[in-house]
Amino acid sequence: MIAHLRAPGWYRAAFYIALALGLSWLLLWSANGFSASDVSGIGWVQVSLISAPLFFLGGLGAFDYWIYWASGRPTRPEDHSAHGATSWKDYLRINTDHKVIGIQYVVTSFFFMFIGGLMAMLMRAELAAPGRQFVDPSAYNGLFSVHASILIFLFIIPVFAGLANYVIPLMIGAPDMAFPRLNAVSFWLLPAAGTIMMLSFFAPGGSFASGWTAYAPLSTTAPDGQVFFTIGVQFAGASSIATALNFLVTIITMRAPGMSFFRMPLLVWANFSTSLLVVIATPFVAASQFFVLLDRALGFNFFDAAQGGDVLMYQHVFWFYSHPAVYIMMLPGFGIISEVLAVKSRKPVFGYRMMAFSLLAIVILGFTVWAHHMFVSGMQSWIRVPMMVTTAIIAVPTGIKIFSWLATMWRGVLKLDTPMLFALGFLTMFVLGGISGVMLSMLPFVIHVSDTYFIVAHIHYVLFGGSLFTIYAGVYYWFPKMTGRMYNEKLGKLHFWTTFFFFNVTFAPMHLIGVQGMPRRVADYSEQFANWNMAISIASFFLGLSTLIFLYNMVASWRGGKRATGNPWNALTLEWQVSSPPPVFNFDRIPTVVGGPYEYGVPGAVHGVFEGVETTAEERQPAGAVASTAKE
Amino acid sequence: MEAATVHHHHGPPEANRSSRIHPALLGMLLFIISEVMVFGAFFTAYFFIRVVVPGAEWFPFDGFELPVAVAGVNTAILLSSSLTLHWAQVSIKNGNHTGLKVGMLLTFLLGATFLFVQINEYATLTREGITPQAFAQGTIFYGLTGLHGAHVFIGLLILLVVTIRAFRGHYSPDHHDGVEVPGIYWHFVDVMWIVVYTTVYIL
Repeated sequence: MIAHLRAPGWYRAAFYIALALGLSWLLLWSANGFSASDVSGIGWVQVSLISAPLFFLGGLGAFDYWIYWASGRPTRPEDHSAHGATSWKDYLRINTDHKVIGIQYVVTSFFFMFIGGLMAMLMRAELAAPGRQFVDPSAYNGLFSVHASILIFLFIIPVFAGLANYVIPLMIGAPDMAFPRLNAVSFWLLPAAGTIMMLSFFAPGGSFASGWTAYAPLSTTAPDGQVFFTIGVQFAGASSIATALNFLVTIITMRAPGMSFFRMPLLVWANFSTSLLVVIATPFVAASQFFVLLDRALGFNFFDAAQGGDVLMYQHVFWFYSHPAVYIMMLPGFGIISEVLAVKSRKPVFGYRMMAFSLLAIVILGFTVWAHHMFVSGMQSWIRVPMMVTTAIIAVPTGIKIFSWLATMWRGVLKLDTPMLFALGFLTMFVLGGISGVMLSMLPFVIHVSDTYFIVAHIHYVLFGGSLFTIYAGVYYWFPKMTGRMYNEKLGKLHFWTTFFFFNVTFAPMHLIGVQGMPRRVADYSEQFANWNMAISIASFFLGLSTLIFLYNMVASWRGGKRATGNPWNALTLEWQVSSPPPVFNFDRIPTVVGGPYEYGVPGAVHGVFEGVETTAEERQPAGAVASTAKE
Repeated sequence: MEAATVHHHHGPPEANRSSRIHPALLGMLLFIISEVMVFGAFFTAYFFIRVVVPGAEWFPFDGFELPVAVAGVNTAILLSSSLTLHWAQVSIKNGNHTGLKVGMLLTFLLGATFLFVQINEYATLTREGITPQAFAQGTIFYGLTGLHGAHVFIGLLILLVVTIRAFRGHYSPDHHDGVEVPGIYWHFVDVMWIVVYTTVYIL
């Protein structure tokens, strides 16, 4: 037993969590002049919520190497036993292999997607008819708040980080990420953050109910469940900053010979841009939640107008992160779509450089539009028009991407399998979401539809029809690489068509009832919206059921799917040039990159060559330079 | 092009170095960008409380005053720690182990002195009625200087590790990244203090 508690692992993690709870109490006890009766319950919870996740990571062994190193003790010999996974148990421990971490990320975030989705089902059940059905108004507020927070901070942002974690080192010809141990820490912060948010349901007064935006002073005066959001977001944010930093260093310093920036696949470009956004913007959400926590826990006055604080400051700081965050939730998806469309159309990506530059343009413009979330907040009115203009302008780089994708497919040989269907579904749905986005940038219109279901429709068209469709496309596309098995194509197509259909039936009517004035974030509504809401609720249940097809397909195919070859899609990018799943260290030797990543249909085009593999001098020429016998 | 099949390896192939910058150095620089943005958010709060709020006042007001001179001396102490740190770094590059040890020890002591003086300043101000709970100016004063103080504290922990490792002889002229990279962080903490001191105490 003692051995269990000393060795890194789940026993020690549990022991350390208990230790964290005890030490937190002792800390408060000593701070209160050694008086047990003065230690407040919520104070203890707050300190524990901060300390327990760190102790949990320590118990699992995330910091062991660093502590040994810092104290000058001999570090564990690098036998690479922490690399690779031979059984499912290897996914439940600290592992520094980017491929294992990638799968840990994807599976964990899909777990949270199902939880967030179930909350949506519960909300739709409540909204099926006017009046009260299943939950009372405050529980309903809690449901939509946790639904949004979980799906944003624990599904969309991390699932992209997971896919990128798996694919990027392979794509750029690196054996692993630049900081593998930091990578493991980034991942294990997530289940901690998710658990904290879920635990809020057990707080007295219910879960946090101020929306995922947690506006002050609502959040500074809300019941204690709010701190579970305030602190949970810190861990999710720290995780995403660490991952972004890791991606940037990996992409900048570990590319294979010959892999210049303009030979990088667009997925790498997309994550490069996203990581820039994360490193620069995410500290702002951390700070905004620090402010809330200090106001709540220690009686600071950041948002107390009576003492000279400023409530609107919260929204400025929050949206300075959270507007870039919508691009953090979309740019990696753009990268996935570029990969899938080029491969499935057998054509080079149209306007490769413009695709890369438009990503950077979005990064820069993304920082200039935050106040368009605050048009009705009562902020200084002179900010409105500049923000309206920049918001409309940011549609331009996105438009460049849309038209480049269309041109990529133009006269291509389209293969309409599941990843491609989701990519096409994304294109259509995201254009709709983008159009309602441009509508929402226009002041006269947005003032009319603010806080209505039009907003709900817009956000779900860009995050579900946009981000989630790209995630599905990516998961299906890289499933053979990650698992070494093929997914079931029939079930995949069924999943796409059911999701696509019921997604539209669920969310399209919300535009209509939104314009008619049905307010969002309210558990009840007037009689006139009853028919539409019943239809939406029924469709949403089918939408939920369609996800089960996906779940079954993934689990069954992973267990018993057809064995996948190394390159089932005949793709050029490096991750497809190794076995499926890839060897433990990705490459026996680092490949040399000799051409662009998307030269499909170009005779003799080669992206990367491997030492030890027979290649002719002609094939080492830059792609498209010479016409020789096609290698594939 | 089914090139790589599973072979039994003793380790990963060495990654290609596609940039001249050291990965740890780049990582630290990116982390510092992130840190600058945390401070940026706190400065945003400062700006709102000092400028945007109608009728906003800043120290000195209503008899509440910040000890500009004491904090100025403290600033000098912190800045001199950057010099001693630089001396330590130059020493180890030239193989001067004594210089490294003395330099690291001085840096640590100067940093600790800064923190000690600041804690005393907090105690004095609290007695005079300037608390974060009293008014928003106090909130952001303690917020900004406290955020910086937390960075000094973390920096001191890192310096402590470096100092211990220096005394154990872990560094050499060819191998001193462990002094360089934490050094960047400490210099950042110092530079940040100049910004904090200027905006909070002087302007």
